[in-house]
Amino acid sequence: MTTLLQLNHVSKHYGNDTKALSDVNFSVKEGEFVSIIGPSGAGKSTLLRCINRMVDANSGEIIFDNVDIAGLGKKDLKKARTKIGMIFQHYNLVNRLSVIENVLHGRLGFKSTLAGALGLYTEEEKRQALQILGVLGLQEQIYKRSDQLSGGQKQRVGIARALIQNPKMLLCDEPIASLDPNASKIIMDHLKNISASMGITVLVNLHQVEVALKYSDRIIGVNKGSLIFDGPPNEITAEIIEAIYGSEAGDLMFDLGGQYAG
Amino acid sequence: MGVDQSVKTVSADSINSFHLNEKKRIKVKPFNKASLIIQLTIISLVLVTIYTFISFDYSDINLFEGIISTFQNVKIMFLEPHFKHFSFVTALYQVMITLGLAFLTTLFGALIALFLGFFAARNLSSKPVSAAIKGFVAVIRSVPTVLWVLIFAVAAGLGSVAAVIGMTFHTVGYLIKAYSESFEELDEGVIEALKASGANWWQIIFQAVIPSSMTYIISWTFLRFEVNFAVAVAMGAAAGAGGIGFDMFMASGFYFDLREVGVITYFVLAFAIALELIATKVKTNLKTSA
Repeated sequence: MTTLLQLNHVSKHYGNDTKALSDVNFSVKEGEFVSIIGPSGAGKSTLLRCINRMVDANSGEIIFDNVDIAGLGKKDLKKARTKIGMIFQHYNLVNRLSVIENVLHGRLGFKSTLAGALGLYTEEEKRQALQILGVLGLQEQIYKRSDQLSGGQKQRVGIARALIQNPKMLLCDEPIASLDPNASKIIMDHLKNISASMGITVLVNLHQVEVALKYSDRIIGVNKGSLIFDGPPNEITAEIIEAIYGSEAGDLMFDLGGQYAG
Repeated sequence: MGVDQSVKTVSADSINSFHLNEKKRIKVKPFNKASLIIQLTIISLVLVTIYTFISFDYSDINLFEGIISTFQNVKIMFLEPHFKHFSFVTALYQVMITLGLAFLTTLFGALIALFLGFFAARNLSSKPVSAAIKGFVAVIRSVPTVLWVLIFAVAAGLGSVAAVIGMTFHTVGYLIKAYSESFEELDEGVIEALKASGANWWQIIFQAVIPSSMTYIISWTFLRFEVNFAVAVAMGAAAGAGGIGFDMFMASGFYFDLREVGVITYFVLAFAIALELIATKVKTNLKTSA
């Protein structure tokens, strides 16, 4: 498999002294399912947003699909962003619009300003939207207003909006942090399925270590803006969890880490 | 177990000591600068009011008689209205002119304000642009509508043209503030999501910002329409803009005909109530459907 994403010496600080990321290096192969774990405020969200430049890194290279994202101009950046889907903790749907309208928003980056502003989508795009909604089990909800959906359904709409971009990679920022265990499992299964069957690289920020251990091909551990761990789930030990989350959290998760890593 | 108990004793102790130390009455509101200023303001307002009433110069007007004759005038106005200088149909036509003035200025104002509102909203625009528009708009709003009409009357002459320009001007100022503030309340994440998928600014405006703030836009515009109707009546009297306001001015200031003033007041009142009812209906419809 070829390398899709490569981060070289990426650093980011807010203001003068708040360091969010310091010298982050890692690479992700095509079709890989990678989880990023770490305590709140460790820089997971910043790391994810640096990749599609929702946040601008201060230094370093971000090579995605053989292009350095960090050096792109406005127009090329928009083009690059169409190849990267993004999924959010709070779904970030337009509440007053229907499910299918929200899904079709994923096509805006491919359209002219006017066609996009007026919401003129081609039949082909609409057909694709319906097909993706079918795969995600939302065929009953197509014309519902998106604020009438449950959290799990909203997140599936979010996934559909990302998938209709035909992306090479999905960035998922805490996709299950606001969901109950049942909906969380459905969402994670869909993400895993997307990565396995469509060959789309998936990069997920997670709070739940056990979920990361279960679903990931690889886990990246972040603490205070630095990479602490980068390897397959079976190399995770209680010591590593402790290093990522700090000593007290290590105690708390000892059983968990031991169980899976054992 | 040991840990649990120690935690409990510590918390119980701290609660006890907290209560013991509070010998005074427990205040619900913290005493700070803001509450002090509010209290001082209220006290000084009360003092000013008392002073004004004491120092009123009633001269030769008997307060009691004055009140009585006021009530008599009100009674004549509302209980004995009649048409003298114009007919019912003319009055209706004149109200329509006033309504037209209000509609036109609201429409122009809303279109301009919608466009500028995007640039005035902090989350959709850059800081200097937003600050510049908001500052300019604050100046427009601080001058009353009537003054704007009179200012434009210098160039356009007293009449409907000055009224339309002046009222539109103030409407723009008012609606830019209202619109841009509703845009600013939009969930930042929605904009982020569309940006992340490669959408450009205009697409985000039309696909996310406008649909999300449609209810606000409609209700602010209606509110301004009602205000503009009232202002349009006044403009007929003060700036010669025509409509029912001019008839009212003639009836009261020229013919001293209280009964006709009563008729006109009823007309204005009826239309204002009708507008209010329509606005409420549209708003509820908008909230339940779509």
